[in-house]
Amino acid sequence: MKNKQYRQDIIPGIVLACFSTAYLCMIPKIKAFTGLGSTPLTNHFVPYLWGGVLLFLSLWLIVRGILKYRRFKAEGGVVEKTSAKSVISDKREVVASFIALALYVGLMEALGFVITTILYTFAQILILTPREKWKKNYLPAAIVAVITGCVLYYIFKMLLNVLLPSGILAAFNL
Amino acid sequence: MILQSLAAVLQPLTIILVAVGTVIGIIFGSIPGLTATMAIVMFLPATYSMSATQGISMLMALYIGGISGGLISAILLNIPGTPSSVATCFDGSPMANKGEAGKALGTGVVFSFFGTLIGIAILVCLTPMLCQFALKFQSYEYCALAIFSLSMVIALTGHDMAKGLISAVLGALLATVGLAPIDSRPRFTFGLFQLNNGFSLVVLLIGLFAIAEVMNFAETVRQKQNYTIRENVKIKGCGFTMREFIGQIPNMLVSALIGIGIGILPGIGGGVSCMISYTVSKNTSKHRELYGTGIMDGVVASETANNATIGGAMIPLLSLGIPGDAVTAMLLGGLQVHNVAPGPLIYEKNGMVVYAIFFAMILASIFMLIFMLLGMRFFVKVLRVPKNYLLPIVLVLCGIGAIGNANAIFDTYAMVAFGLMSYLLIKSKIPTVPMILGFILGPMFEQNLRRSSQLISSDPIMSHPIFLVFMVATVFVVIFSVRANKKEAKQAREAEEKAAAEANQQS
Repeated sequence: MKNKQYRQDIIPGIVLACFSTAYLCMIPKIKAFTGLGSTPLTNHFVPYLWGGVLLFLSLWLIVRGILKYRRFKAEGGVVEKTSAKSVISDKREVVASFIALALYVGLMEALGFVITTILYTFAQILILTPREKWKKNYLPAAIVAVITGCVLYYIFKMLLNVLLPSGILAAFNL
Repeated sequence: MILQSLAAVLQPLTIILVAVGTVIGIIFGSIPGLTATMAIVMFLPATYSMSATQGISMLMALYIGGISGGLISAILLNIPGTPSSVATCFDGSPMANKGEAGKALGTGVVFSFFGTLIGIAILVCLTPMLCQFALKFQSYEYCALAIFSLSMVIALTGHDMAKGLISAVLGALLATVGLAPIDSRPRFTFGLFQLNNGFSLVVLLIGLFAIAEVMNFAETVRQKQNYTIRENVKIKGCGFTMREFIGQIPNMLVSALIGIGIGILPGIGGGVSCMISYTVSKNTSKHRELYGTGIMDGVVASETANNATIGGAMIPLLSLGIPGDAVTAMLLGGLQVHNVAPGPLIYEKNGMVVYAIFFAMILASIFMLIFMLLGMRFFVKVLRVPKNYLLPIVLVLCGIGAIGNANAIFDTYAMVAFGLMSYLLIKSKIPTVPMILGFILGPMFEQNLRRSSQLISSDPIMSHPIFLVFMVATVFVVIFSVRANKKEAKQAREAEEKAAAEANQQS
C-alpha cells in the first residue's frame, strides 16, 4: 500500500470532524421562527442533518484510515516522516501563488484594481515560470502585467460598468 | 416568440459574440489544462452588461467550442485538451502517427458537429415534455428529486462513495449560510451583511475550478514537458470520403444516444460519455481488434458522444434547474446572473431566452465546423501559447467575475477561500463536482422538505406516486452503487496485492 493512502483518509477526516463539530455547536444560536406560518421542521433541522451526516462520514474516514494504517504496518510498511518545511518547499509555487492571490484580493480595495493587478500579474507570471528562465521573462512579464491591468480596467470599469475599486487612483478621477 | 428569438440571435452583434465565443472556446478546449468551464468562468464578467440573449448565446458558444476543441491536442499531442476527449486519444493519436492526422481531425470535427446537432434535436424535443411533466411536481416531488439527484451524483462520481458523499454534504452545508428558506432567519452569517444572501454559485465555481486548475499547473512548473506538436497539418475537404461517412452513421447514432443519456444524468459529463461510447462501439464492432491502432470508428464514437452530451446536459438544467456537470453548473450561474430561472416554468417566463439558447447552439455548431475545418493551422499554433502568461490573466478575470457578480470585493475573499478549500480537497482525493450539486440541491431539498412537513397532515405521501417512484429509484441507486463500490474496492485491493507481490519477486 502506498504510504499516502491512509493519510488521505485520516487527515481530512480529522479536519472535517472538527469543522462539523464546530458547525453543529453553532446551530443552537440560530433564531428559530415559531410564529404564524412556521413549519413543523424549524430552520435548525436541515443544518443538524447535514452537520450530523458530515460528522458521521468524517469519523468513518478516520476509522477507515486507521484500518488502512494497521494493514500498512502489518505488511511491514515504514512510515515516511515528512516535515511541514519539506512539504512547503516541494509545493513552493502553489504556496507562493496562494500568498500572491490573497495579497491581491486583500490589497485591491486600498490600492485599487490597476496597481494590484499589475503587481499580481507580474508576480504570478514569474511564479509560474521556471526559475532559470526568470531573467528572460522580466520584461515580457512586466509588459503583459501593465497591459492586462490597464486594458481590463478600461474594458470592465469604463465600458462594461463593473464596479472595480479605483483605490489610490481615485484621486486622479480614474 | 420563436421568430423573435431567431431575430435576436441573428443580430450582427450576437453573431459576432457567438463567433468569438466559439473561437475562444476551441482555443481553451485545445490547450491541455484549460477547459470549457474555465472559458465560461473567464468570460462570464464580460456578459454582465449584455442582454440575456447575447450573454447566454456567448456562453453557449464557449461551451460548444470548449468541448469540441479538445480533439486537437488529443489527436496531435496524445494529450486530451479536455476530459471529454480522453477516448479520442486512443485512435486519434495512432491515426496521426500513421500520417492520417488530417483525416483524424476532419473526422473529429465533422462528427462533433453531428453529435452536437443530434443533442440539440433531442434537447428541443425533450425539454418542453420534461417541463410539462415537472409542472406536476409539488414540494414532495422536488424533495424526492433532490434526494434522487444527490444519490446519482454520489453513485456516479469516482470510486470512493464516502468521499463523494462528503463533498456533496459539504456543498449542502455551504448552502445553509445566509437567510434560511421560508422564514428568512440569518444562519452562520457571523454578523456579516455580505453573507445574508449566502455564497454565490458563480463565486464557488470560480474558486473550485479556476483557482484549483492554476494551482495544479503551479505544481508542474519544475517538470519538463516533453511533447512535440505536429504543425504541418492539412485537412483535404472533410478528411474522409462519403462512403466512409455513410459507413459510420450507425456508430454515430449509437454514440450520440449514449452521450445524450449520460448528459441527462446529474454529476457526470463528457469524460464518462466518450469512454462509454468508445467501449460500446468497440465491443459491438466487427473489427474490434483494430480499435486502438488508428481507425476512424474510435474517433467517431468518442467525439460524437462528448458533443451530444452538451444537449443532454442542458435538458435537466433548463427543465429542472439541475446541472449535469461542472460546465452546466457554470451556465446555471450565467443564467442566474441574467435573471433567468431554469425550471418547469422557463418557457412561460423566459421562453425567448430558451429558444435563443437553441438557435445559438446551432449557430455555434456551424461556426465550430467552419472554423475548425478551415482554421486548423491557427488552432494548432495556439497550442504553443505559454500557460505561465495565460493563467494569471485568467485568474484576474476570475477576480473581476467574482466582484461583478454582486459588485462586492467580499466575493473575491470567498473565491480565494474556496480555491484553497478545493485544492486541499483534491489533494485528499475528495471530488469537487458533487459539492456543486450539493450546493444547488441542498436549498431545494430544505425548502421542499420544510414545506412538505407543513402539508403532511392534510396531504398524505401515498397520494404522490412520482415521489414514491423517485424514492424507490433512490433505494435502487444506493444499493447498486454500494455493490459496485464494494466490487471496485475488491478489484483495486487485488490489483494492489498483485503489484506488491510482483515487486517483492523482483526485489
